[in-house]
Amino acid sequence: MSALPNRRVEDWKYTDLRNAIEGEAVASAPVARWSVTLSGTVEQNELPEIMARGTHGEMGTVAAAHAKSGIFLHVGKGEQGTVHLELSNAGHGRALIVVEEGASLTLRETMSVGDFSNIAIEIVAGPNAQLHHIREANADGESVRVSDYSIRIAQGATYRAHFADFGAKLSRTELHIALEGEGAEVHLSGVSVLGDGGHADVTTRVTHSAGNAQSTQLFKLIAGGKSRGVYQGKVSVAEGANGSDSRQTAKGLLLGERAEIDLKPELEILADDVKCAHGAAIGDLDPESLFYLRSRGVAEPEARALLMRAFLEDAVAEITDEDIRAEVWSHVEAALAELTA
Amino acid sequence: MAALETREQVAALGEKYKYGFVTDIEMERAPKGLSEDTVRFISAKKGEPEWMLEWRLGAYRRWRQMREPTWARVHYDPIDYENAYYYAAPKSAADGPKSLDEIDPKLIETYNKLGIPLNEQMLLAGVAVDAVFDSVSVATTFKEKLSEAGVIFCPISEAIRDYPELVKKYLGSVVPVTDNFFATLNSAVFSDGSFVYVPKGVRCPMELSTYFRINAQGTGQFERTLIIADEGSYVSYLEGCTAPKRDENQLHAAVVELVALEGAEIKYSTVQNWYPGDEEGKGGIYNFVTKRGDCRGARSKISWTQVETGSAITWKYPSCLLRGDDSVGEFYSIAIANHFQQADTGTKMHHLGKNTRSRIISKGISAGQAQNTYRGLVSVHPRAANARNYTQCDSLLIGGKCGAHTVPYIESRNKSARIEHEATTSKIAEDQLFYCLQRGIPQEEAVALIVNGFCREVLQQLPMEFAVEAQKLVGISLEGSVG
Repeated sequence: MSALPNRRVEDWKYTDLRNAIEGEAVASAPVARWSVTLSGTVEQNELPEIMARGTHGEMGTVAAAHAKSGIFLHVGKGEQGTVHLELSNAGHGRALIVVEEGASLTLRETMSVGDFSNIAIEIVAGPNAQLHHIREANADGESVRVSDYSIRIAQGATYRAHFADFGAKLSRTELHIALEGEGAEVHLSGVSVLGDGGHADVTTRVTHSAGNAQSTQLFKLIAGGKSRGVYQGKVSVAEGANGSDSRQTAKGLLLGERAEIDLKPELEILADDVKCAHGAAIGDLDPESLFYLRSRGVAEPEARALLMRAFLEDAVAEITDEDIRAEVWSHVEAALAELTA
Repeated sequence: MAALETREQVAALGEKYKYGFVTDIEMERAPKGLSEDTVRFISAKKGEPEWMLEWRLGAYRRWRQMREPTWARVHYDPIDYENAYYYAAPKSAADGPKSLDEIDPKLIETYNKLGIPLNEQMLLAGVAVDAVFDSVSVATTFKEKLSEAGVIFCPISEAIRDYPELVKKYLGSVVPVTDNFFATLNSAVFSDGSFVYVPKGVRCPMELSTYFRINAQGTGQFERTLIIADEGSYVSYLEGCTAPKRDENQLHAAVVELVALEGAEIKYSTVQNWYPGDEEGKGGIYNFVTKRGDCRGARSKISWTQVETGSAITWKYPSCLLRGDDSVGEFYSIAIANHFQQADTGTKMHHLGKNTRSRIISKGISAGQAQNTYRGLVSVHPRAANARNYTQCDSLLIGGKCGAHTVPYIESRNKSARIEHEATTSKIAEDQLFYCLQRGIPQEEAVALIVNGFCREVLQQLPMEFAVEAQKLVGISLEGSVG
């Protein structure tokens, strides 16, 4: 294969894969495996060896080429189900998830393996389908993990996803999302809580191909020690996609003396009747809020912890499933406790 | 009254570019194409010392190894660098005019058409004019008054001759010879430009201004501007340009370097309304400019204000290196792209010193089939404690065929830094337009009015004379974009 994506490649400016892993290790990585837990009406099949049709980035294409087999999950018209994908063997993996018209699926992804993983997942949400996706990546300073999602959302369908990343040697989550029909919605949120040595990069590409679709993004990053948090988001509104409504927010909290946060919220607009906004901010905890809490008798460490929780909370609150939200939140709390310890 | 005036302007404009005329003067040209000989020719023409020639040749050799950047969101046919002239001087200027009377009457006529008669200009609002006609500066006014204050304001070719130490010390110190493809090209073949030195503690007694224009067919213009504000000084510099109409695309690759030493302040304002090409996107200027200011000393300040309405292609990122502690960088920009214009412009704020502050206000307006991109970088170095940045970039779209793009890079490596960025994209609201229409304001004027309101924060930053011109320009630039 040609050279790995590195900082000279614009899309990988803040995430140098070539620095983190040898090309040889990528080429010789095995096929990834998941342990799959299903409930409701979800069919699971072997994914036939066809090339993924989705729009993937550099590494997604590599994964699709290397992974001979994969999993294919299907939720039939009007059906409902839940899926838990636990990555059990690292390597190149691919999956196709199809949620038919009017169906709904809650998809949960977790990983418990280290090493090198490179996953390409294609998701197709049919008309009026509902998809709720939550991914958690545990803290693992040794592993290199790349996930590349290609997601197509049909008219009236909603894709709601949350990405909680607690940092790896290198972690890259890439989302290629197309809103293909009127009334389609995508709501992305995520938190990156990074301790010393951690890295997490969330890169989103949302395309409003059809008009009257909505996209929102809310990402919060906390970088402690010597870590690096990255958010790159690009929203494109195609010519004629009038009535597009897009909001993008990315905020970073730098805690470590040697930490770095890089934000790049991008807009590409080719229609005029649109509402598009983005906001980005990087800073430390607000000294006034801190002062207020301390003046009320809250000790500084507690006050800081409280403000950090508050900082992350609205992003985690985007998870609509209560049980999963509580679980993710407990992991966020644990990561924060470790950061401030 | 105002309504009548705008209508008259638009009518006078018709389908043609207001400043589209060519002055017929014999030109002295370097041979076509770019080679070491061309560089030597230019250097010899200017009577430059050996070190300057070496500097140029070094840049030329470097340029030969460089590739044209492609990352900007602009599309154009490949430029044939071998098929252009790199030097043109009005012949009558070769022996150097001593006063206005010696200047070719045709040049004076051109200025009259431009609405900047030098005689009037001298009286007007204390503005000194260093007028560049193509490549050689032909008239410099108010020299005495400036020299009384100790301010040096002269063509850079003169500065190379008269103040070699200053030029040697500062030229290329902000934009290195190897900086980028276009800056390197400029370093090799720059023809002329302005040089300003403001001594310690001096507040420049007037706004310095250069009107320059591109005149000869097929001649690129390679301006080089160097402004040095010594400790505790202040200078405001105005740059405005118009170009005659022609169909061939013209390359313009200027370099502007600003150096602000301790406690100094430089305010640099630009109104750029070069020929943007016709309604079909034919012709127009290619404007590839490298502008950078260096806040070298503590408590220094550099402020860029630009109104970019012209050029077929604009590639321009006036930047600030905030090296001194407590230094301040500002960037106020209006970029208007109509018809087939393409603008990719923005700024870079490099926070290197402690307590450095920067502010970016960018207003992009796209109409017709134009593409307008804001591309900016705010970067905070690990040592830049308490750095502060505020960025606002708003885009306005007029019509469904144009594009507005925002590409901000925000990089923070210091935990005490605070960076805020906001961007919005919108169109002219129906209710705003309706309100104006029902008050009897015609559609085109209503658009100009609303757009002027949209740009207000930036227009306010311009010196008075420029602000008036710029407001009119906003209206004229958007002519034909609605209805």
